[in-house]
Amino acid sequence: MASKVFEWLDERLGLNDMYKALLDRPEPEGTWWNTLGSASLFLFIMQGVTGIFLLMYYTPSPDHAYDSIQYIMNEVAFGWLIRGIHHWGANLMVFIVFVHMLRVFTTASYKYPRELTWVIGVLLLLTTLGLGLTGYLLPWNQRSYFATTVATEIAGLVPFAGDFITRVMRGGTDLSALTLSRFFATHVWVLPATLALLITAHLYLIIRHGESEYPSEED
Amino acid sequence: MGRSYKVSRRDFVKLVSGFFGTIMGAGIALPAIGYVLDPALKSGGAREQWIPLGPVDQYQVGVPAPFNFTRTQVNGWERTSSSYGGFVVRESETDFKVLSNICTHLGCRVAWEETENAYVCPCHDAAFTVDGEVISGPPPRPLDEYEFKIEDGNLFIFFKEG
Amino acid sequence: MDEKHKQRVRERYQRALQHGEKFWPDSIYKDVLVSFALFLLLVGLATFVGVKPEPKVNPNDTTYLPRPEWYFLFMFEFLKFIPGSIEWVGAILIPTIGIVVLLVLPFIDRNPYRHYSKRVLALSVMGLIVLDIVLLTVMALVPAPTPEQVFFKNLQRLAGLTIPGLTLVVLFVLARVVREPASQRKAMLVVTGLAALGMIGASLATVFPLAASAPPKEEEQIFASVSEQIAAGQDLYSTYCAECHGPEGRVTEIQGVEGLDGRIVTAINSNDVMYTFTDETLRNIIRDGWPESGMPPFGMELSPNEIDALVAFMRYTWDDRIEAPAEAQAGGIPALAEGEVPSYDVHIEPIVKRYCLSCHRPGKENNNYLMTSYEEILTTGDNAPNLVAGDMDSILLQVIQGHEVEGKTGTINVMPPNGKLIKDEYVQMFIRWVEAGMPQTADDAAAAAP
Repeated sequence: MASKVFEWLDERLGLNDMYKALLDRPEPEGTWWNTLGSASLFLFIMQGVTGIFLLMYYTPSPDHAYDSIQYIMNEVAFGWLIRGIHHWGANLMVFIVFVHMLRVFTTASYKYPRELTWVIGVLLLLTTLGLGLTGYLLPWNQRSYFATTVATEIAGLVPFAGDFITRVMRGGTDLSALTLSRFFATHVWVLPATLALLITAHLYLIIRHGESEYPSEED
Repeated sequence: MGRSYKVSRRDFVKLVSGFFGTIMGAGIALPAIGYVLDPALKSGGAREQWIPLGPVDQYQVGVPAPFNFTRTQVNGWERTSSSYGGFVVRESETDFKVLSNICTHLGCRVAWEETENAYVCPCHDAAFTVDGEVISGPPPRPLDEYEFKIEDGNLFIFFKEG
Repeated sequence: MDEKHKQRVRERYQRALQHGEKFWPDSIYKDVLVSFALFLLLVGLATFVGVKPEPKVNPNDTTYLPRPEWYFLFMFEFLKFIPGSIEWVGAILIPTIGIVVLLVLPFIDRNPYRHYSKRVLALSVMGLIVLDIVLLTVMALVPAPTPEQVFFKNLQRLAGLTIPGLTLVVLFVLARVVREPASQRKAMLVVTGLAALGMIGASLATVFPLAASAPPKEEEQIFASVSEQIAAGQDLYSTYCAECHGPEGRVTEIQGVEGLDGRIVTAINSNDVMYTFTDETLRNIIRDGWPESGMPPFGMELSPNEIDALVAFMRYTWDDRIEAPAEAQAGGIPALAEGEVPSYDVHIEPIVKRYCLSCHRPGKENNNYLMTSYEEILTTGDNAPNLVAGDMDSILLQVIQGHEVEGKTGTINVMPPNGKLIKDEYVQMFIRWVEAGMPQTADDAAAAAP
């Protein structure tokens, strides 16, 4: 019965072809250093899952953001766990992405034919940092308020357009409800969607060219 | 060569991957379920109290008198105030009936229509008699009644949250 | 890159695949194990370290030291080396160049070889930059040198900017000048090694002395739940507000307060106040004061968290439309059981906090009698001792029972001074406490019980 169902589905979806193309691929022998990319992906998924759960209670308004997070941390069952994982996952993700990049640089895996994979990887790093920056403001506490003030101030140093950029980031001249809600929207939709698209492209290129082998003497 | 129970390395590796994957899935899913259900599981301590509606004398026999009151409740990080209301119906000098104004069909608020001599629900055109019985429309039962008491000539209704 | 080279790369990759592994399950197995380790790490961090509580936003707090996330710290530290007039160079230009170089790295690095021994320049440059990032982060974690500590400042600049900058230049020059691969490699490694040693040495030489000079940090109170807020609000109320508004907020005419004596105020526990003022209004009045009515501003003394706690206390205690969470109602002053001996920790301290502390704290006119701790209650004051174990004529017992006493400073007034004695129940508690020898902890009290 089960095999019949599988056959029916396979005929329509091409499960077997997918299995062959995606999973049953030959690869050069890898080491534990090769797991950093998938570890980054795992952390991104964890961030997505815990982030969605945080949204269930979090309120992006200066009046309630802080209190809603206090509520998550102290009143909701396992709220401390979900927020804790999201908080530490963000830190760990930046770290793992960075180490992943170092590994790729060290083994020169960005060379022919994987140049584009590297370029997309750098964009992934930037998006991750952007997520860290925007997420930092959301708890609306002293630390986030002043860190964001400084960050937007730094963007203001851009010659000529600086003031304008700061105003765009803050949604006005000062940090306000507008800043919080635009950082929120960027953090929960714009950047995660960007990241997901870039990850798809990154993975496609990896499957297309295969994981790189460790360089030998003659390389 | 008989049947071999030896597990190949490949199978072992598949098993371990599946095992740890499942643990992680469960490790995040179980707390998440508690997290999502949490507010529903907290009783919030259903409050019960007597709400004063003023002297009995102000209510005329046969004329439904609307009343309403507001209660505030702490929900999460915010106080929410909810309005409740209804009608005091003085059926005779001694008999009272206190009706809720919440339609028993889908929870819209009914209003007393003098001309039709009925409580009319704006949502699905239900109508109730002055005593709260269904005249027409979809409601499954008469309007709900508040328990009440009269002390020192003042009317009180019993309010229970939830 | 020519076709022949590409062909070679592809052939070698095919060969590597021959003695390779399968993505599923061989690679995924390792991936899952690593992910699982990270998962455990995350759960562990969330459980045992948690997220550090932070006070609510308070733009007026000028003492707050802004810190970015740790992964931006190196940038933060790097900016300190750049003079303010060309700050945009450090803050914008250099990071932009860095990002662009990273993005186009595969097109800049024309070296076709992949093996480490043939990429000494690239690896050296990367090593130096990564080392610099790590060192800058470490330096940002310890306090910055004060303007007097010029030596440390220069040492940090040397480690973070001068050495790495110069070494990069030297490396690129070596790549042009020394053409023979073996000696080029050797020269680069030596230069990089020396630079790394210099950077590590210079920065560590500043890190330890500066870390040792770090002042201890003061933690701001953060309230976890509404109940905690109410309890803290009660204490704050007693300290800052009760002097004028009375312990229950009933006062309509201020008595015995310098500068405000005889002023008529609204009873702040009334429905007039509770129904018409929103939390926001109450917060603003506490923070900014209300000059027309004599209410002073408390925004400098109290943090937003504390003002929130005060408002929560007022709202839940006095607003009859709102019921406090069940666990918060249990707080306050515990009643005394039959035959129980009161102790300072359990019974006396809450009474003192609510009724006495608003005046009997430093900076108030109180004959130097302070009541913030057990020791102070027993020993301080111009008329000390105000309490003597077992002595029913102790000054404090007399004045709270409505008797004036002659002391070293003259007549000592009845306390509290606004003409309303504290509840008899509390007076009895004080008397039984002094009778039993004024035990401090609940254990002492149990031991003193007959």
